[in-house]
Order: sequence, then structure tokens, then C-alpha cells
Amino acid sequence: MLQRFLDPGVLASISSLDLLARTVVDGFVAGLHRSPDFGFSQEFAEYRAYTPGDDLRHVDWNLFARTERCYLKRYRGDTNSQLTVLLDASNSMDYTSSPSRPSKMDYARFAAASLFYLAIHNQRDAAGLIVFDDEVRNYIRPSTRQGQLPRLLAGLEQAEPRARTDFSKPLLHFQELLHRRGIVIMFSDFYEDPAAIIRTIEPLRYHGNEVVLFHVLDPKEIRPDLRGPAILVDLETEQKLEVIPEYTRTEYSRKIDHHIEQLRDRTRGAGMDYHLLVTDQPLDTTLREYLAIRQGGQ
Amino acid sequence: MGFFSPWFLFGVAVVGLPIYVHLLRRHIIPPQPFSSLMFFERGTQSSTRHRRLRYLLLFSLRTALLLLLVLAFANPFIRLTAGGASNKLLLVVVDDSFSMRAGSRFAEAKQGALQLLAARPQGQRAEVMALGGRLAVLTQPIQDAGALRSAVESIQPGDSRANLAELARGVRALVETVHTPVVLHLFSDMQKTGMPANFADMQLPPNVTVVLHPFGTSPPNPNWTVESVIAPAQLADPKDAKKSRVQAVIAGYGTPTATRTVSLLVNGKTIATRKVEIPPDGRATVEFEPLDVPYGLNQCAVKIDAADGFPADDASLFSVKRSDPERVLFVHQNGDARSALYFGAALAAVTQASFNLQPIESDKSTDIDPSKYAFVVLSDTLTLPSIFENALLRYVRGGGNVLITAGTSAAHHARIPIFGGYSSDTHSYARDGYATVGETDGTHPLFQSMPTESTGNDTQGAAVNAGWSDLKVYEVSRVDAAQARVIVRLSDQTPLLMEKQVGEGRVLLFASGLDNLTNDLPVQPTFVPFVDRAARYLAGSDSLGNSRLVDSFVPLRTAAGQAVHSSTGVEIIDPEGHRALSLTEAAAAQSFQLTRAGFYKIRFANGRDALIGVNPDRRESNLEPIANDLLQLWGSATAPPTTVPSTNTGYVQEKNSTHGIWWYVMLLVLVAAVAESIVASRYLGTQREEA
Repeated sequence: MLQRFLDPGVLASISSLDLLARTVVDGFVAGLHRSPDFGFSQEFAEYRAYTPGDDLRHVDWNLFARTERCYLKRYRGDTNSQLTVLLDASNSMDYTSSPSRPSKMDYARFAAASLFYLAIHNQRDAAGLIVFDDEVRNYIRPSTRQGQLPRLLAGLEQAEPRARTDFSKPLLHFQELLHRRGIVIMFSDFYEDPAAIIRTIEPLRYHGNEVVLFHVLDPKEIRPDLRGPAILVDLETEQKLEVIPEYTRTEYSRKIDHHIEQLRDRTRGAGMDYHLLVTDQPLDTTLREYLAIRQGGQ
Repeated sequence: MGFFSPWFLFGVAVVGLPIYVHLLRRHIIPPQPFSSLMFFERGTQSSTRHRRLRYLLLFSLRTALLLLLVLAFANPFIRLTAGGASNKLLLVVVDDSFSMRAGSRFAEAKQGALQLLAARPQGQRAEVMALGGRLAVLTQPIQDAGALRSAVESIQPGDSRANLAELARGVRALVETVHTPVVLHLFSDMQKTGMPANFADMQLPPNVTVVLHPFGTSPPNPNWTVESVIAPAQLADPKDAKKSRVQAVIAGYGTPTATRTVSLLVNGKTIATRKVEIPPDGRATVEFEPLDVPYGLNQCAVKIDAADGFPADDASLFSVKRSDPERVLFVHQNGDARSALYFGAALAAVTQASFNLQPIESDKSTDIDPSKYAFVVLSDTLTLPSIFENALLRYVRGGGNVLITAGTSAAHHARIPIFGGYSSDTHSYARDGYATVGETDGTHPLFQSMPTESTGNDTQGAAVNAGWSDLKVYEVSRVDAAQARVIVRLSDQTPLLMEKQVGEGRVLLFASGLDNLTNDLPVQPTFVPFVDRAARYLAGSDSLGNSRLVDSFVPLRTAAGQAVHSSTGVEIIDPEGHRALSLTEAAAAQSFQLTRAGFYKIRFANGRDALIGVNPDRRESNLEPIANDLLQLWGSATAPPTTVPSTNTGYVQEKNSTHGIWWYVMLLVLVAAVAESIVASRYLGTQREEA
């Protein structure tokens, strides 16, 4: 029954992000019966035989003392981890192909709110928010204090699409703000060159952050459905172009697929996670899939 | 270009409909917002341009469709004067008729034609013709200036009569072969008498432009001429006051009252002179008697000292043959003196020739040689001695002529000698009173009016023709006329007068008698003219005559006679003293056209000699030109004329032809409708997809 309410269209009608986040998280957590305690904590995961070059700090010396074998101890998470969400609030995120469907910004808000709820309410982790476009527009420091969740949700509410996306300028601020290792989740439509995006975001990982890119796209951005020649207006640059259906069906589809593929490959190649969020997919399903994959990946 | 129904052009207002739909009520495509145009290319603008072009194309097609529809209803036409000068055939026609000899008009006409040819555009084809009695084609359509100039220079003044109907006929035939617009330049004196009786005969094809170059039309030239001469073709006794006389009619055209001297010349010597006062624009008659000419063929002429600008028509030529009276053999039944009486009396009244009738009973004709006679009459005597019959048959086959009458004796004798036919029975109309003549063959020389003879307007043929309607026939022999030419039929279609060619001779068969018993022909007024014409026809003098018109034909031999006299040639000496026929023609020609004025000497195949005075048609002497309004009418007979000044004298009539082109416009409408359907279906299909 809950699935019915987790449709993006239905979620869009819920005005309160708190209620929305609780609905989503309770919905998909209720579906994870076998492992209700998974999360972002750094708990023990497994032993692995030492190989030359491994960091000696991770060697389980107690085990070595008992068995004289050298094993590395691997952790699943840190119980005091912090979650930082980077939300792209550029104009392009305001796009929706249908009035009944949430915009990419709304969908990112829903997903971020759900993650905040999951982190703070379920995991007692610190959570923070950075809203940016071509500069950092809002920053809520990660914290576990009382009232942090409402602050984050209010920050999400206030994040209205504006200006253009520019990863390079806010990057310096990200590095300053993210001085403590944790999980960094970025919501954006990533209309940039994948190489430039990775090159810009990659430094975040140097601090030991685990970086996850949520690529938010409208289904019509992947497969535009033009019935005839049309004039398209770029939401960020307001540039106008006359396009024909034949082009969108062939060349455009090939380019966007290549872009997604490139972004995924380069992200994973750089040791980061990538997940594509399409705004017509149920939000809880999307998050559960992501978390299930993440759990499996750990 | 014009319109037959121009009021339909108000329908052009409907063009506002597509203008409103396409331009005023313009469909605007709202721009669609999109997150990023990063993956789109500017090259896609061309597609919309295509679409806009298709949009404008559709608008153009719809506008064109309506305009063409309105145009088709307005029924447009074009005037076919188009085409460059090089595309038109320049047809130069120089009138070389007899009237062009007057003054200097012929030289001027040739000069004008030469100037026109010299001034024609480079590469334009031209053709030269001469208009006389017939249209003589002197060149084909060519561009060779030298050949064209030579053709014009070779034209010599002729003696024929120009006929504009002949010109129109020739041009019509030419247009059917050249298939290009023709510009006809006519260099002529535009004689009024050159117009045909039926104006429609002058009509030219629509793509012919007539450019007239009149010469000598103003001021009108007074001209006196010898219009006609009545003289005996054969004269036996110069002291016979009844026959030995020459009557000439002097006519003036556009002339004041004047006294002129008229001379009679025989063999070049003036033998008599008369003074005659000619009324203004009228006629006067002059008589010369007696006509004393020596034995043989004599060249005679009546000449007037006209002192006008046209001396060529001041003389009229004729020939007179002085000889003993020709004998006519009249074979009749025993006891039948009435036929000879009636026929002899009528024969004696013949003025144009002298005949001496020799009646003889049929049973006494055994030793008679028919070849000594001008012709033979078998009057109701169908039973002949075999020797005479054979001699008569040879005589006919050799060129002799026979008149046979089949009266009451035909009932008992089925076979008609010489004629070869059979008489089935004798039909009597006594119960119904009498039979009348139903139809006569006006084309036969016996009944044909011969106004062309210079001996006067011969109404004798017409009189003969008219008089037969009063004839009462009581009894007639029914003769099989299968191979004969029926000249006169009764009202019940029974042949009454027939002619049959036997060898080179002719046999006339009158299926009744001359005795005033079986019919009343001998007492009818038409009898004497009939006997006169018949006698001259059978004697052969009719076909020779003493004068002829230029362009008339002289029969030289018949087809049947050609076989008999195949080895004997005909000899013709023209007025210049040259032989007019080649050896081949002399052996085979059946007729000869007298193309020049003057005396022609002819020796026929059967040994007969003839001298024919040939005169131009006297209508050529009337130099009155065609009225301008008639010329304008000629030009506008087929198309609205455009009159422009001529390059030299006269004026030009541009003959334009109107050609309706609504059919082509409708084809364009169809094409536009199909194109509009195709473009609209694609365009509107796109619109539906977008919706």
C-alpha cells in the first residue's frame, strides 16, 4: 500500500519534507527485513590477507600475535560518520517534462530529505547541506544536534533553482567546508563535460570522503519526445535552438547515453559512486536499490 | 493577352483567403523550455527553415490555385503576333498580272520587293512568289539573299488576271507546310477586279500577317480599252453583209468624254478607221463592214488610240479564216423533207461560221465520203448502207463528228449506228399531252455560257439552256445511255440529248426528231442558237474560236484520239514565234494553256490548222483599286487588325490571331491542385503530430 504513495507524483503533493522523508524512509526500511541496522557506520566487515603495500595501520595486530598471520581488518562504516549533501540549485534543475511529475529539483529534495531522515533519525549521524549553483548559496554545517533535521529540511525548502551550474567555483568552498571525512552525496544533472566534472569533484575524495553522485534526470531528457520541429530554450542560458524530432531520436539520444555512460565510468574509475535518478521512478525503490548496491559493495 | 470574360477577374478578391489564413492568422510555435541544449546542435535550424519554406510553398500554391482558377474563368486569350522576325517566314508576292503593265507600277513593285528583301533581318527565311493567273512559286523558303533577289528580278509582267482568291488559296497551302507565322508582303496594284465573287475565298490563315504595298492607286488612271470584239471566226463571202462585219465595244474606266480613233487591222495593215465618242466612264460600239480579208488565216485586231497610261490594252486580237463555206451532210429518210428544211434554215442563220447543208436520202449515201464534210447529221435514219456506215465510223473515229436524231424510226430499229447504243422502244407522251425538259447539263459546251470569249459576252449558251425548258416532247426513243454523257433529260429522267466519244470523234444523239412531229424544237426560239452552237461544236470551230483569253486551255486531242494519232505531234507556235511544246509534249499533250497575249498558231494532230488571237482579260483594264475599307476587312477577316505605317508606300495590316488559353490554364489549375494536396498533406500531417 505504501508503494502507492511513494510515486514521485504523489510525493510531490506532500508539502512537508519531514512527512515526505519519513514516509519514504519508513516505506523502504519496512521492506528491508533482514538487515534493518545497516547504515553509514564504520563497523567491522571482514579480514583480508595482507599484501605488500597495504597500510600497516589496518593490520590486526592482535590476530597477528595469536596466529602470527598478518591480516587486514576491514570496516563497513564509522558509527560517527557524517553525511553531507551537495545540492545543485541551478536553473536546469527546475526542468520537468510534465506538470504532474516533480521537477528534478523537487526529486533531489525528496531524495536528500529521505537521506537526512535516514541518517539523523535512524543512524544518529551528523548531516549537513550545501546548496550551490555557480557558487555556494547555503551551507548547513553537519551536526547531530537537536533540531538539525528541521534545519536541513528548511534548507532544502529554501533551495530554489537559480543561475547556472559551475562546479569549479564552489569547489574551493567544498574543500574548506568538508574538512572531516564522511559521505558526500551530490545531487545534480551534471550538464558538463564528464572529465571536467570528475576533475573538479575528485579532490573531495582526497580527504577520505566517500563521494556519491546522484545524476538526476527527467525521463524526457534521456528520451525527448518531440512530435515535430520545435524551438527549445535553454533554462540556464536562455539560448534558443530550433530542433527536429529526427535529431533528438538519433543523435541526441546517442549523445546523452554516451554522456551518462562516460559519467558513470569516469566516476567509478575515480573511486566514486554514481547513481542515476530518473524522476519518474519511485523514490523509495531508487533509494533501496542504491542502498542495497552500496551494502553489497561494502 | 486579353480576356473574353474579364468580369470574372473580380474573383481575384478570393486570394485574400489564403493571405488571411497563412499570413495574417499566422501560426506561432511557442518555445519549449529545456534543461540544457548542451547536446543539441545549431544545424537543426535548417529543418525549421524547410518547414517554413514548405509553409510558404503551400501559401504560394494555394494563392496560385485561386489565381489560376479566376484566370480560367476569365477565359484568357493571346494574340499570336509574337515570335521574332527571324521566326517568321517572309513571303514576298509580286503581282505580275496584265494591269501591272500600266505606267511604272511593275518596276516600282519589283523595286519595293528588292528593298524589302535587302532590309530583312539576318537569318530570316523568305520565299518569293508571283501572282498572276495562278500563284507561281519562284523559291522555296530560303535565306539565300542572292537567290531571292534573282527570283524577284526574274519576274516579268504577264498577261494573266490576278486573283486574290488564288493568292489566299496558295498561302493557305503554304501555311500547312511551313508551320510558322508568315508575313505576307503583297506588291500589287490592288485591282478591284482581282477580288473574288465570294469574299470568304480571300480569307487567310490566322498566323498570316498581311502587309500591303499598293502601287498606282492614286490618282486613278483613266484608261480606254477595246472591251470586246464580235467577228466571224470563218468567213466565206466578204460581201455577205450579215456576216462580214466586225463589231467592237470601246470602254472607258475613269475617263471623261472623249473622241477616239478606232482602227481595224488585218495582218498588220489598217483597213478601216472610225471615230467614236466615248461617254464618261462608259462604252461605245464601233462597227466595221465589210470585212474583206484574203483567203486563209488572218491576224486581225481592233485598235484604239487611247493615249492613256496603259497602252497594252489598246488592241484586241482575233483571227478570221477566209474559206469557202463548209459542207454539212444531212442524211434523212426518204420523204422526210421537213427535218432538212428546219435544220438548214437554222444553219443558214449561223453568224460565226458558214455552212452549206447538203441533204441526201439515206439509201443514196452509199458512195458518200464523210471526210469531205464538216460534220454529218443522221436525221431519223438509222438504217444506213453498210458501206456508208463503215465509212462514217472511220470518219468519226478519225475525228469527225456526227449528230444523230432518233425520231419515229427508232421504234423499229433497236440499234443506233455509230452511237453503238440500243433503243429499247419509243415512248409516246401523247396520252399526257407532252413531256418537258427536266434538267440540262450546263457544263457541256452546248449549254455553257462562254463570256470569256473576246467576241463578246456569249450569252448564247445560257439562251440555249433557258429555251429548252419550253420544249414540248411528244415522243422520245428510250436509249441506253450507259456509256454516254447525258446532256438533256426529260422530267421523267429519260435521256433526250446525249454525247458519246467514239475514237477521236463525237456523236451527239438527240432521242427525238427534227421534223416538228415528235417535238416542237424546230419551232422553238432556242432552235437556231442550238443549231448554231451544235454546228460550231461539231465542226470544231467552237473549240478553236477566233480569240481566246489568256490562261484559257485549248484541247489538243482526246484520250481516245491519242491512240489513233499517237505518232502525230501537235505543233504550237507562240506569239514570239517559238515552239511552245517540246517533242514529248507535242506527242502526248491533251491540252495547252494560252499564257501570253498574241497570236498562237496551232496545227492539230488531225492536220487542222488554227490561228487563235489571245487577249488579256479585259477586267484587268479596269484599274480601280480595292477600297481601303475592304482591304481593312480583309485583314480583319480572321483577327483584329493592327494598322501600322508601312516601310515604304501603302500600309501594313498586322493580322493577329486570338487563341484561347483557358485549357492550358485549367491544366495549370490541376497541377497546382495536385501539388497543393501533396504539400498540404505533409504539412498538416506534421501539424497533427505536433498536436
